[in-house]
Amino acid sequence: MSVSFDRLRGPLIALLSLAAGAALWQYLGTTIPKTEFVGFTATISSLWDLITNGELFTALKESMEVFAIGLAISFVIGFFGGLLMARLPRLRIALEPYVAAFYAMPGVALIPFILALFGFLVKAKVIVVVLFGIWPILINTLEGARSVNPELLEVAKSYRSNERRLWLHVIIPYTLPYAMTGVRQSIARCLVGMIAAEFLLSSSGLGDLIIRNTERFQTGNVLATVLVIMILATILIGIGRALENYFARWRAGE
Amino acid sequence: MTAVTVRMPRTRELSPRWEVFMLRLGAGLVLLGLWEGLVTWLSPSYITRPSGIARVFWEVVSNRSTPLTQLSGSFWFDVQTTLVAVFEGLAIGVTLGVIVGLAMGRLATVEWALKYYVGALFAMPVIAILPLMTLWFGYTSTARLWIVVIGAFLPVALNVYEGVRKLPVTYLEVARTYHARWWNVWFGIALPASLPYLLAGLRLAAGRALVAAVVAEYLLAIKGLGFFIRSDTQSFHQNQAMVAVIMLALIGIAINTTIDAATRHFLPWFRREGR
Amino acid sequence: MTSAAQDVAAAVAETGGARIQIEGLAMQFGELRVFEGIDLEVGRRECVSIVGPSGCGKTTLLRNIDGLLRPAEGVVRINGAPVTSPPKGVAVVFQMFGLFPWKTVFENVAYGLRMAGTSKEQIREKVPYYIELVGLNGFDKAYPYQLSGGMQQRTGLARALAVEPEVLLMDEPFASIDAQTREILQFELLRIWESRPTSMVFVTHSIEEAVLMGDRVVVLHGRPSSVREVIEVGLPRPRSRETLATDRFAEVREHVWSELMQEARQAERELQ
Repeated sequence: MSVSFDRLRGPLIALLSLAAGAALWQYLGTTIPKTEFVGFTATISSLWDLITNGELFTALKESMEVFAIGLAISFVIGFFGGLLMARLPRLRIALEPYVAAFYAMPGVALIPFILALFGFLVKAKVIVVVLFGIWPILINTLEGARSVNPELLEVAKSYRSNERRLWLHVIIPYTLPYAMTGVRQSIARCLVGMIAAEFLLSSSGLGDLIIRNTERFQTGNVLATVLVIMILATILIGIGRALENYFARWRAGE
Repeated sequence: MTAVTVRMPRTRELSPRWEVFMLRLGAGLVLLGLWEGLVTWLSPSYITRPSGIARVFWEVVSNRSTPLTQLSGSFWFDVQTTLVAVFEGLAIGVTLGVIVGLAMGRLATVEWALKYYVGALFAMPVIAILPLMTLWFGYTSTARLWIVVIGAFLPVALNVYEGVRKLPVTYLEVARTYHARWWNVWFGIALPASLPYLLAGLRLAAGRALVAAVVAEYLLAIKGLGFFIRSDTQSFHQNQAMVAVIMLALIGIAINTTIDAATRHFLPWFRREGR
Repeated sequence: MTSAAQDVAAAVAETGGARIQIEGLAMQFGELRVFEGIDLEVGRRECVSIVGPSGCGKTTLLRNIDGLLRPAEGVVRINGAPVTSPPKGVAVVFQMFGLFPWKTVFENVAYGLRMAGTSKEQIREKVPYYIELVGLNGFDKAYPYQLSGGMQQRTGLARALAVEPEVLLMDEPFASIDAQTREILQFELLRIWESRPTSMVFVTHSIEEAVLMGDRVVVLHGRPSSVREVIEVGLPRPRSRETLATDRFAEVREHVWSELMQEARQAERELQ
């Protein structure tokens, strides 16, 4: 187990592994035809080209726009929707199975329908992202709001908080950590939605960049873009985890 | 991290069962009504709506090809194709995931060598690799298989890895004290102990496998529910396509329910704070 | 002295007769030196209790004896051979029970035997005997989650006894169990062990338990810890609840207590 490794060996192995991976990549680039695969250095130079000719940044901006707006809307609707459902038990009971169904369903299946409704607009892609990202936030917020410790409520009531203040000062702060867990899960799903939407609805963003370059057999660009997406996703999910952990500190008493 | 499953919280503290049923039925009807109303009022006739779906439901489900369309009446064939692709990919992906996860959990060298690869791939939407797959395998079902395998592999590997890492030290002390050999430890202790994590990973894997299969079929135009949806929506037969969507939703729910039921049945001994 | 006590004294007296020999043992975790200079012998039919405050390393010492941890200095010998990894013939009962939740009581008790390569027929014969010995008749198909803490530890005990070990190592076995059950289990263990005495090392933080179980009590304390004193218990066997009421018991208990309290007072003075 990694406990027995002193602090240096582990990261050293990781570094060696990454270097070996790059070397293998480079080697494969020489043996596999260029229409299918290019080597590590060729990918990096494609990446550089994409950066310098601005294509990458344009695509990145377009994708991130869709992602950010979609995530924001998902959060607002998901968080307050979750609180609402916690507040109104009848509403929650009524909607629960439908929320679960939407959460379990592959949202990609609905993309063509959204396309037909909204056309090839940024709006359509945002709606897709919201469709993917709203459920974990909703479900987690709901679970959090319902699990508010009755004692906390007693304390708040004993200070004669009226309901609005109860919500503001007790329930919402208590629920935020749960919501952040939902946000972390939502980030991953929003990314999938974003890419799927860009594949199917096309015309802008990183997904579109991949599709266009695939059609033109510009393998270097394809690999470079995939690399960028990988890094981007890792960063975003890292932020999601950091957010979750930051808010989770409040939950120490569980 | 990856092992948290999101499940709807339990309901029935206050309402009797019939009230629960009526509330849900009522909500469903309201939602359907809204859908029907808004679409009829605001959008063109080819946009799907409940009445339209109801109208074509039987003919889709009975595999009949209809006049005026080139629909092949292949609904159940497509369902089968997608399901087979999903289960094939799951079988391969889960098996590989378990082995790699066990190795990562038990062997520090493997852990450090692989964890950044697996982590980065897991973070990323796996369908981003799909176009790459088409460069390598063409627009074939092999490309779909690979993307499903990768989609299934990653959550399982990561979850099993986490489960093995969280193995209570006492179990290992027991194993060493009583002279268990390494395969006893891997398969007799690490694997059963990480079963809850494995099942959580399986839930994720099944969902991702389904998404991967559908997207692959849609983009690559290969036979399956994804293609069914694509060709029907492109020919303005949205109501027919919606039947496929409903089917997909049912499949997704069925898989989750099965895994949950399996968890409850086969792991009655699992308590969060294992000793 | 009873003949049993004479046996014990005789066994300990000759080095050749000692089952466990610990020489100059020291353990260190990074900068922290946990204990040092531990010299101890445990006879073939003797129970040695080890008692000390938290952090004195008694649990670590136990793991050194079983070869689960390598010492920084010194050596542990069992039957004369140095211990580098868990040796045959040594069984451990763990504080947190260490039962596999996916295995039944039967399967858990059989675990040590299975790992030792015992045949299925032999397992089917032996395991029920040990399940009965610890008082768990009828529970062989139960899972740990269905059992109370006390019953789980009985299972752990049965598992250890089933391999018929020469050395029994008890790692604060009753620390996670409620007080009443603990008392019951203490006397159960005494009954079982006294009927077939082997070398036993009993680690505990309870002074009463240490005196009740042991032929000798090793008091471990200091920073780093070392053996401050080895106290002869000198209570006759078999022991029972009456033993708790004897003057000798109280005497020994006070002796151990004052040894430990000295250290606590010293530590307080050092803090000031």
